[in-house]
Amino acid sequence: MMTLIIGGSGSGKSAYAEDYMISLSEEKKKYYIATMQVFDEEEQKKIEKHRVLRSGKNFCTIEQFIGIQNAVRKMEAGEKTALLECMSNLIANEMFLGAMPKKEEVVTQKIVKGIEMLRKELSHLVIVSNNVFEDGTVYDETTMEYIRAIGKINEKLAIMADEVIEVVVGIPVPIKKRQA
Amino acid sequence: MKLVIGGYAQGKLNYVLGKYDVETIKIYNGELPENIEEQRETIVINHFQNWVKRKIACDDCPEKEIFEFVEKYPDCVIISDEVGNGIVPIEAFEREYRERTGRILVELAKKAEEVERVICGIGQKIK
Repeated sequence: MMTLIIGGSGSGKSAYAEDYMISLSEEKKKYYIATMQVFDEEEQKKIEKHRVLRSGKNFCTIEQFIGIQNAVRKMEAGEKTALLECMSNLIANEMFLGAMPKKEEVVTQKIVKGIEMLRKELSHLVIVSNNVFEDGTVYDETTMEYIRAIGKINEKLAIMADEVIEVVVGIPVPIKKRQA
Repeated sequence: MKLVIGGYAQGKLNYVLGKYDVETIKIYNGELPENIEEQRETIVINHFQNWVKRKIACDDCPEKEIFEFVEKYPDCVIISDEVGNGIVPIEAFEREYRERTGRILVELAKKAEEVERVICGIGQKIK
């Protein structure tokens, strides 16, 4: 089973995704795959905030900044679920961590393949992604390419997913419903 | 309290106007009314996000003020732009504005008896 959860900044998508994970994981081992790399104090604070939000919820955290399929190697055998947060950070890392920014197609292909490998190992994979598409701003070409990559990957993940949920002011709005 | 959200220029105010008798409401643009002696009309706060932005710029606490306000006026309607659906801004203030506005709207949505999202002038009831 795979679920894609999207939302904007401050939409409450993380809190929703975590509660959702808890409701579906039962006694299974729950992993939290963190994709964000810390570069400054503000990001450190953000990560702390997320840690506090997760504390007491029994998540086992794996840091995986690139090559998402490698997260599998850090997991124990047996039935397990994972929450990946956030797709847009993973895409930024894949795109910009090298000497030269990588092309949208290259990044898309790599990530989709990685997610396919990851989901096979899990009874349920929940992916949190970002809605960055509605501020009407035309950015420089590199940023536009990044936005296109997020859009394309969201599209592909939505096809793979059994359900897609948008979180709006903390409220889940179904975009693609699970088939009975 | 009712919360109406949506993108810029989606016809949110018109949508609200269509649901009320204009005589029975009073619209405040980007501000919260102060010292209302006798409340006769339904209070409609339009452009709520602008008020939040101004409060943050003045180092005030919009969270405290608005949560107290909706306790005091539980029949009000709050209309706000959704501002979080974009690339995270480079400027620290803009980042803070988006994040705090989003969080305030999440809290208001929890308190609201009804939440509607307006797209192309059409309201979707999401709570």
